[in-house]
Amino acid sequence: MRKIARGALPAVALLGGMLGAFAMVMPVAAAPPDVVIGAIFPLSGNAAAIGHDAQMALDTEADIINGHDNVPMLLGKGGGLPGLGGAKIKLVFADSQNNPQIARSEAERLITEDHVVAIIGSYTSATAVTISQLCERYEIPYISADNSAPSLSQQGLQWFFRTSPTDVDFSKAMFAFFASIGKQTGRPVHSIAIIHENSVFGTSSATVQEALAKAAGIKVLADISYQANSPSLSVEAERLRAANADVVMPSSYTSDAILLVRSMHDVGYTPKAIVAQDAGFVDPNFYTAVGPLGNDAMSRSSFAIDATKARPAIPQVNALFQARDHKDLNDLTGRELTALQVLADAINRAKSTNNTALQAALRATDIPGDQTIMPWSGIKFDSTGQNIEGTPVIQQHQNGVWHTVYPLDVATAPAVWNVGK
Amino acid sequence: MTTGLIIQVVLGGLLMGFVYALVAAGLSLIFGLMNVVNFAHGELLMLAMYGTYVIHENLHLDPLVQLPLIAVVMFGVGVAIYRLLIARALDVQFNTGMVQIFVTFGLGIFLVGAAQLTFGSDFRSISNGFLSNQTFMLGPVILPMSQVLAGLVCLLAFGVLALISRTEFGRALEATREDRDAVALIGIDRNRVFSIGWGIGAAAVGIAGVMLASFYYISPTVGDNFALIAYVTVALGGFGSLLGALIAGLLVGVVEALTALVIDPSLKQIGIFAIYVVVLMFRPRGLLGRL
Repeated sequence: MRKIARGALPAVALLGGMLGAFAMVMPVAAAPPDVVIGAIFPLSGNAAAIGHDAQMALDTEADIINGHDNVPMLLGKGGGLPGLGGAKIKLVFADSQNNPQIARSEAERLITEDHVVAIIGSYTSATAVTISQLCERYEIPYISADNSAPSLSQQGLQWFFRTSPTDVDFSKAMFAFFASIGKQTGRPVHSIAIIHENSVFGTSSATVQEALAKAAGIKVLADISYQANSPSLSVEAERLRAANADVVMPSSYTSDAILLVRSMHDVGYTPKAIVAQDAGFVDPNFYTAVGPLGNDAMSRSSFAIDATKARPAIPQVNALFQARDHKDLNDLTGRELTALQVLADAINRAKSTNNTALQAALRATDIPGDQTIMPWSGIKFDSTGQNIEGTPVIQQHQNGVWHTVYPLDVATAPAVWNVGK
Repeated sequence: MTTGLIIQVVLGGLLMGFVYALVAAGLSLIFGLMNVVNFAHGELLMLAMYGTYVIHENLHLDPLVQLPLIAVVMFGVGVAIYRLLIARALDVQFNTGMVQIFVTFGLGIFLVGAAQLTFGSDFRSISNGFLSNQTFMLGPVILPMSQVLAGLVCLLAFGVLALISRTEFGRALEATREDRDAVALIGIDRNRVFSIGWGIGAAAVGIAGVMLASFYYISPTVGDNFALIAYVTVALGGFGSLLGALIAGLLVGVVEALTALVIDPSLKQIGIFAIYVVVLMFRPRGLLGRL
């Protein structure tokens, strides 16, 4: 037995060595190395459904860039990144468990162990705070795909780039919609009731809405903050009923959104209008769970799946996404997919994965809206890393289908408006 | 703030309190019996909720009809957990307390992972049950049928638990609780009593799960939302006391609702913990605890 082993060992070593040498030579000759990009989303825990969809969206976009689908948009031709000799995008996903501390350590792992060139994230704004600060320390770009808390881009960070509009932009669009629909129907909004979860997302959204309401001369009859994943939201619903404002404006994640709408129904309250700050109210899970109770709910959005005329890439991208996730693209997945497109474009123009070259390329980003699937006028970052051309829309869930109702020039259906009736 | 509003909020809190109480009762029973804190208790609740959901989706049986079925299945789950895990953990010769904590904690993590693998992370819910989205008026107060029924069923389950404690088995349970080594001398099989105790505990949380499933959303981590409250309820009511769990559950439900109404919804857990701290200061063994 020993003899055989002794004899076999050099042979195995020789074979191994040959294979190793072969492997070392081969990739250089055949293809440029993959560009490794990190992505941090909640893949387990209460927001896991959102994280799973985000993963599917990023995978779809990576496939479009790497493959040969020939989609009519920027980098839609496929075949990898031309600026890097056709290098392919490789995504490494990490699970934040929707916990800021875990998000930070996962970001550190991606940077130090997987050597990612940039990180995309992260759904909740609370996790984006820790990830973006860590990226700043390591001088690696953080691309915020779907975090909407305005405070994120006011941290004075040099490596933070947000493609998505913020809650200030979104809330401004809501109040512009109120003014427009008031004029159009003669039934303006006189009062609102704000309800929000009490972490970064909900609190900063509510603060902005309150200020905008004041400026527009609209009364805020209630401003209710609650702890996310509450076992019960009945009292919150009671308070909303007691306030009986023209419009209820929730900033809630999916679980609470389901419970809130059911609780409002349970206490016998049907709001005249719901205009939501996205999140739970655009999650397809929400509409499956609440059924007809979710009819005519409105939400701000930065994606309009029905804007196919102005954005010809939508049907094809949506079909590719559906093949993976069996769902339509929505506001979140649309923004996540676009964030990877923007990052890939910057790497392509930088012609390198060097961090300072990438930072300079991101700063020089200038993508016209029709080269993406988003209804934005384009993507261009200001000195804080905020995209200044991301113009939001207001959508309404009418009989199970999302229709864009504002701005009027891209609207595909008139809004169902019960205020003042 | 009108009187109607206050009555409505208090009633809503009481109804939720019955559910909290039943979830806590299972936990309290197991702890009182064998000094084991079941850290997978919230996950047992989740399991029952998914069970209800799956049967409802496939066989279109209303949650109400499923009650006995789920209770029996969960009883089996409880017995299995005791036989396969806890009994072995109790036999460990060193650091028994730690081993028990890790076993149930690990079981909880396993169940959450298994649920996510099997059902995905999407939020599920039963929106077309017999009582879904139905409400009724009681003077100025509007109450959701599903929650009223959940309260009634939980109260009924407490009645059954109280009856069980008066039977021969109930006395064996009590005796085992008092001195688990001495009962062997009078011919009581300790293992049998413990496994039935686990079965009843799991069945109780199973019933709460069925009733919750008719109005709450279902996700792999849904147990977390109720587990913390259950631990507080048990400690508040007194470890091992059934009546204590009921009173504490109702107290927690009402205090939570009133804090949300009077002070601020985001502070409602503070109300619960404030009461808890006060009770601990003046009566460390809980309201009706005997330990």
